[in-house]
Amino acid sequence: MLAESYSMNPGDELLVGFKFTLNPGWHTYWENPGDAGEGASIKWNLPNDIVASKILWPGPERIPVEPLMTFGYEDEVVLLTKISTSAASAIPLNLNAQVSWYTCKEICIPQEAEVSIPIKLGSKTPSVSKGLLEHTLGKVPVEFNGTYRVNKLDDSYVLQGEFEKMDQYDSMYFFPKEYGLTNYTENQQYEKNIDTFSLQIMASEVTIEKESFKGVIAVNKNEDVNFIEIDYPLATKEASQEFNILTLIVFAFLGGLILNIMPCVFPILTIKILRFVEQSRDSTYKTLQQGLLFSLGVVISFLTIAALLIALKSGGESIGWGYQLQSPVVVSLLFYLFVILGFIFMSNIVLGSNLARLSSISLNKSDSLESFLTGVLAVIVASPCTAPFMGSAIGFALLQPSFYSILIFLGLGIGFSLPYLILSAKPSLLSFLPKPGQWMETFKQFMAFPMWASALWLLWVLSSQVGDQEVIQVLLGALLITTGLWLIEKNNSEKNWVKWLMRLPFLLLFIFSLWLIPASYSDLDESKQDQLTYTPQLLDDLREENSLVFLNFTADWCITCKVNEAVALKTTKVSKLLADKNITYMEADWTRKDPIISSTLEQYGRTGLPLYLLFPSKGDPLILPEILTEDILLSYLNEVQ
Amino acid sequence: MKKFLITVLIIFAQASFAFIEIDSKAPNFELTDTYGNEVSLESFKGKKVVLEWTNHGCPFVAKHYKTKNMQSTQELAKSEDVVWLSIISSAPGTQGYVTKEEANELTTTREASPAHVLLDPTGKAGILYSAKTTPHMYVINEEGVLKYQGAIDDAGGRGFMFKDLLEANNYVKIAIKELNQGKNISNPVTKPYGCSVKYAG
Repeated sequence: MLAESYSMNPGDELLVGFKFTLNPGWHTYWENPGDAGEGASIKWNLPNDIVASKILWPGPERIPVEPLMTFGYEDEVVLLTKISTSAASAIPLNLNAQVSWYTCKEICIPQEAEVSIPIKLGSKTPSVSKGLLEHTLGKVPVEFNGTYRVNKLDDSYVLQGEFEKMDQYDSMYFFPKEYGLTNYTENQQYEKNIDTFSLQIMASEVTIEKESFKGVIAVNKNEDVNFIEIDYPLATKEASQEFNILTLIVFAFLGGLILNIMPCVFPILTIKILRFVEQSRDSTYKTLQQGLLFSLGVVISFLTIAALLIALKSGGESIGWGYQLQSPVVVSLLFYLFVILGFIFMSNIVLGSNLARLSSISLNKSDSLESFLTGVLAVIVASPCTAPFMGSAIGFALLQPSFYSILIFLGLGIGFSLPYLILSAKPSLLSFLPKPGQWMETFKQFMAFPMWASALWLLWVLSSQVGDQEVIQVLLGALLITTGLWLIEKNNSEKNWVKWLMRLPFLLLFIFSLWLIPASYSDLDESKQDQLTYTPQLLDDLREENSLVFLNFTADWCITCKVNEAVALKTTKVSKLLADKNITYMEADWTRKDPIISSTLEQYGRTGLPLYLLFPSKGDPLILPEILTEDILLSYLNEVQ
Repeated sequence: MKKFLITVLIIFAQASFAFIEIDSKAPNFELTDTYGNEVSLESFKGKKVVLEWTNHGCPFVAKHYKTKNMQSTQELAKSEDVVWLSIISSAPGTQGYVTKEEANELTTTREASPAHVLLDPTGKAGILYSAKTTPHMYVINEEGVLKYQGAIDDAGGRGFMFKDLLEANNYVKIAIKELNQGKNISNPVTKPYGCSVKYAG
């Protein structure tokens, strides 16, 4: 037994340690020994007013005993204890303890010893052991300096956190404090970025319900190891939404399917599909080839988006689906795109890529490229239209290790391109349609209206990001672009150079309209704020008073949010019940970028919208479904206490 | 993709050392007992069975026998018509490996009363049951369904050597009683404690 000083005054605290020196190949155990063995125990024999702390265990090493895994120490270890005295403690005294421990190689030897050291009265003077004891104190796990969270997946836990300069740590390992939490033998998967990391740990094969995820992580930098305490409350089964990766892929797939009928996408795909009606007499091999190229375009675009989002996430940005619509530049560009598409449908204009040409039958190189580009275009126009299942799937995807994110995006892409692919493989499915003729042209023209409706909606989103002045500018830009397009359409000259000359004014008008796009937010119009706006402070205050709170995370670009608000949240019945039950309604508007809202969303495992939280007067909030009806909402509100 | 493949490989590599869920069928094994008889788990259908992984050289096991805690559990099992199988999975040359004669002598000198002591020097039965420590206990009902696995009692944890085992809650005794009363097992899975099973490296 060692002490930092062999003298002390009453009231002092004294650091003592038990040093174990082990022969090569032998080891002793940590507080959780792993699959076998047992950590040391110390039985103190002290006067009543002198208290010994629990053992302060230095971080352990992994000691495999094939096929098992144990946690412990080799060579040498010091187990620390803090002795605290009171002002009335009698000193000098004898610190006496009975220690029992195991030293093991292949076999274990139990050992026991009674040790004591005399402590004199007097001020503390550093002993020769002080250095060793303090060095050991540095190996005792410290509190996590930063934020982290733990998600329980089907058969594993994902520990994610941030701390500064994470990228300098080469490896990480989680040592659980208790049996039945994580698997001891399987490898843990560590991924790191600049300031963040994720560690995936297989769950224990034994299922014992745990209240918290408790343990120690060892992070290695070169030869140095730091030990950090982890203690994260685990939600009980009922409360947590346990997502299985397969379910999420199915959700993403369904979301992709539904995207096909969203107003932004539907026209483009129908018009493209109508070409099959004409081509159905043609070789199916060719249509199938086009279908495959289209699917390829879709899938590659989705994977590009996934890669982009993952890259942004690594850069420390907080992102989610719909995130792109927080930028007025993106919204304006999409607005232009929808205006142009509508115009193309309405007119007979033929762009370089033959996008809307209905008469082409032969499949040539440009057709292949066109199919591919249609896929890419479909994904771009789909981006503002969030299908109901997509928000949660993508939101969750982004919280996963990169590999799962990519799988989810892949599911989305396949779901999105599947209807098209099926029709391209079997155009006869469309045989119920009338014979090609004038009706197709009429239909195509009609499809301009959903495009323009989408454009109108984008303009409305823009109007809550920038002022009237900027909105008018963007409208002016649209006017210029359509004028330019009209010029191209009216240009029937046979001569190539005339054609090119006529395209020049369009190009100039287009560039000018791009210049008109506003790049930053304008001040928020105060008159829009007719309800409480979320701030963490306000929520805390209300919770302190035990008020019931309904918190709505919304954004103008989130269609699901707006639909929910229209059909459920803002109905008279709901408003009345909110007032009757004295539930405070609060909105967190994410139409613009807002790091506070992003971080709140993340606390609830989301990166996207919508999210509805209903706080009872005590305890954790209820997370409401993402698709609300008046009945669902009323039943939740009625039940909350 | 590479990561995924590795994960798959790990899963397959581990498949042989798999945890058996409570309320699932206890896998059958066939081992030779210390009198040279072939003994299979299936042949005890209709009776409850207790499996005890043991290693006489392990200080944890030694304390359980020295204090007669293990013997008293065996006697309770015997009086309730429960078949007790002690299994030795130590590989030749490791601690706890015994010949038939040595094993029989241990049974006599320790006044133990297992129905059979089974020799598993290849570790196949131990790995089949994912037995990790000595002692590691399993209780199987009349239908051959696993009902309990884990420690013999709650004396595990630090300070084991100071504890009075006869005062600890003996999980195996409790499980036998609860099964006889047709009740659910209150603690069907506990943390096994003790020495590691000395499998062939």
